[in-house]
Amino acid sequence: MPILIAPINQELTVKRVSGNDKERKHLESLGIVPGRTITILKATNNGVIVLINDMRLAIDRNVAMSIVVAA
Amino acid sequence: MADKVLNVCLAGNPNCGKTTLFNSLTGSTAYVGNWPGVTVEKREGKYKSKEGLVVDVVDLPGIYSLSPYTPEEVVSRNFILEEHPDVVINVLDATNLERNLYMTTQILEMDVPVVIALNMMDAVENNGMSIDADAIANKLGVKVVKISALRNKGLDELMAVAAKVATTKREGKSFWDYGEYASKVDEAVAIYKKEEVSDPLFHAIKALEGDEIEAEKNKLAFEKVKELGVNIDEFEANSADKRYKYITSELAQYRTGAPVQESKKLSTSDKIDKVLTNKWAAIPILLVLLWIIFHITFASDLLYMHQWFGLELEDYPGFISFTLADGETYTPFAGLFYTGDGVNSIGEFFHCLAGDNETGILGLICLGIKQLLLMMGTPDAVIMVIYDGILNGVAAVVGFVPQILILFLFFSILEDSGYMARVAFVLDRIFRRFGVSGRAFLPMIMGLGCGVPAMVNTRTLNSDKERIKTIRVIPYFTCGAKADILAAVSASVALSFGWNADLFTMGMYVMGFVMAVVVVILMNKTTQREEVPPFIMELPAYHMPQPKAVAIHVWDKGKHFLKKAGTIILISTIVITMMENLTWDWRFIPAFEEATLEEIQALGYASYEAMEASSMLSSLGKVIMPLFTPIGFGTQLNSTGWIFGVATIQGIVAKENVTGTLTALAGIVGQNVEGLEDGDAVSQMFVATGITAGGIMGFTVFNLLTIPCFASVGTAKGELPTKKSYIGTILFWLLGAYVIASLFYLFTDAVVGNFGLVAGIIVPIVIVAAVVGSFFFAHLYDKKMRAKEALAA
Repeated sequence: MPILIAPINQELTVKRVSGNDKERKHLESLGIVPGRTITILKATNNGVIVLINDMRLAIDRNVAMSIVVAA
Repeated sequence: MADKVLNVCLAGNPNCGKTTLFNSLTGSTAYVGNWPGVTVEKREGKYKSKEGLVVDVVDLPGIYSLSPYTPEEVVSRNFILEEHPDVVINVLDATNLERNLYMTTQILEMDVPVVIALNMMDAVENNGMSIDADAIANKLGVKVVKISALRNKGLDELMAVAAKVATTKREGKSFWDYGEYASKVDEAVAIYKKEEVSDPLFHAIKALEGDEIEAEKNKLAFEKVKELGVNIDEFEANSADKRYKYITSELAQYRTGAPVQESKKLSTSDKIDKVLTNKWAAIPILLVLLWIIFHITFASDLLYMHQWFGLELEDYPGFISFTLADGETYTPFAGLFYTGDGVNSIGEFFHCLAGDNETGILGLICLGIKQLLLMMGTPDAVIMVIYDGILNGVAAVVGFVPQILILFLFFSILEDSGYMARVAFVLDRIFRRFGVSGRAFLPMIMGLGCGVPAMVNTRTLNSDKERIKTIRVIPYFTCGAKADILAAVSASVALSFGWNADLFTMGMYVMGFVMAVVVVILMNKTTQREEVPPFIMELPAYHMPQPKAVAIHVWDKGKHFLKKAGTIILISTIVITMMENLTWDWRFIPAFEEATLEEIQALGYASYEAMEASSMLSSLGKVIMPLFTPIGFGTQLNSTGWIFGVATIQGIVAKENVTGTLTALAGIVGQNVEGLEDGDAVSQMFVATGITAGGIMGFTVFNLLTIPCFASVGTAKGELPTKKSYIGTILFWLLGAYVIASLFYLFTDAVVGNFGLVAGIIVPIVIVAAVVGSFFFAHLYDKKMRAKEALAA
């Protein structure tokens, strides 16, 4: 499911990152790579705040829709 | 090594402490902040050790990887690859090792000597963790040094190691498993070696990833690599995955103790975030914080104790009072703590303490200069020009500096705490509807202080169009110098039109915000159409603002203002004052004040007043007057109305000049202005020139929205991507302000009844129709273009 609607405060696994090349590369360099663990700290109407690699990352709704995760 | 100066550069993730390290190494005072993207250009400095080692150190903007995402990140990549530093010092935030090591695996693919600096080791140890630096060094085959840039620990060792490593050769090496791609990587490297590209391994892997910059820079080799038939998307996803796998499986084990996310630091940040980024509370909290900052900085009625709670005070009488040889009595520190209007805020207190040319410390200095001139037997006319003209103008501006520094102090505390990154995220959704991402909030809020650094900071934005939109509206965020104009004008409109000065000031700030929104929407639908770039931003952990970092920032700002006061503002004031007092035949007008009518008529002037009216400034002012007629302060005013035009032109050089010019020139036209306070002189001038409420509105709006100053014109030229967008921006600043000011002028005068009943109804209707119409046409245009694009796709 897209990370925007995934359950919060629970370890999830990144399954797929879609979106354009530039954006995907940026997300990858931040650690959002298929197979990595990711935790959603907060979901707001703006998007999500996630914890990945000990780093908190704020991501807008559109980008959050392009990250697919599984529990 | 003595004969050759060593070149090293600092590379690492955003917010890992590169600039702090740079400052500690070189003794520089570059600005450090707690959000990603503070450093947007490379900086150079010199490090000298006790042993006589000299190193040129370059600080680079922080990057997460060597595949750049925003313009400032390209700077870092190009520097490392093309400037061939002797050593790359890869700075890692040791509290966040895994993420920081990602770029390390890319840097190590280059042939350059590398030293890893594990920064923030003090924080790691405080968290009860330890890192086995030697083990990491063994694995990666490069030296690893533990440092703390903030506490100045390990820096000399780091530089000594860098000097030693510089003489060695290193060949690029990958630390991840190529898997099925192994043979393709070898082939690609061979191609690059054949083309004699330096750093072949790095470039070959970038080419296999389909890197855009690589495609441009090494076209031939890139095309050949393409022929190997590797799926670039798959390769790229695979390499990112494998790099992380390597870090997790091979390197993460060398960090022992509690992982950071379970430490107190992080959970505290999350708790604060629960409140500050809350769905409902986030924006009200931001507004209240901003209100508190402005109130503490600018209020002359602290906590509205006078206005709301009926606190009645007499003006604070001051503690010194003296009478000078000119017969006037001065009380420089009167009103320092409180006045009849209420208790002074901290900012207002410092404003009074610094003072203008009759109050405060500056007043004492100015009076001292006046005394000196009197003792030297200088003619009264010359003293008037120096004291009332030049000193008055410069002191008015400098007196304002402490208040601006306090504003900057609050802003830099907010920045250093880590809050600003959250605000950018909270505002992203709203901003997105207008046409920019939340990231644009950071340069915009910087614009409330000064537009110049704000424009430079737009480098962190994603697309050229987003940068253009943001740079164009940065002047709409009333900067420190413009706050000065508002203070002067609002005091005067209160006296002349009975308006509420506070409301007028705040209204003008809000006018700027609203106009910025309107203009961004219109640009986004017409000339700067684009999908709003995505918002992806690291939220740094909150920390207590570091006094040193904050102090450096505020001091830098203060230095900048004082430099400006001593150069451009001083020169402008001298020029204006001289032109005001000289005729075209180089006669010094005040010298003829006591002259008989015959003497003056012998020079060809009808009277002394006629002579005043033909000063250089006044005659030039009359020439440019018609320009300002459509915005309310041109030919419709009396013979002295050119003052507003001159002040406006001066304001294009530097906005501080507007107040200075208005204050200095007010004396010419106001009748009986002797002994009145500045505010009174200016408001008296309003009456003498016959300017209407609409005219004042037009004057204020135009000055707030037009070209901010020469400094920002120069900055915009450097920051805007093309010459076309630069010229477009200058025209926009002039014409946009002109149109908006004209609307405000007409609307205000129509509503307050200056145009009579019929026009008073028709004009507002026409204006509203024009505004709605422009939105409508922009929308139609946008729709048409969308349809066209959809067809093309």
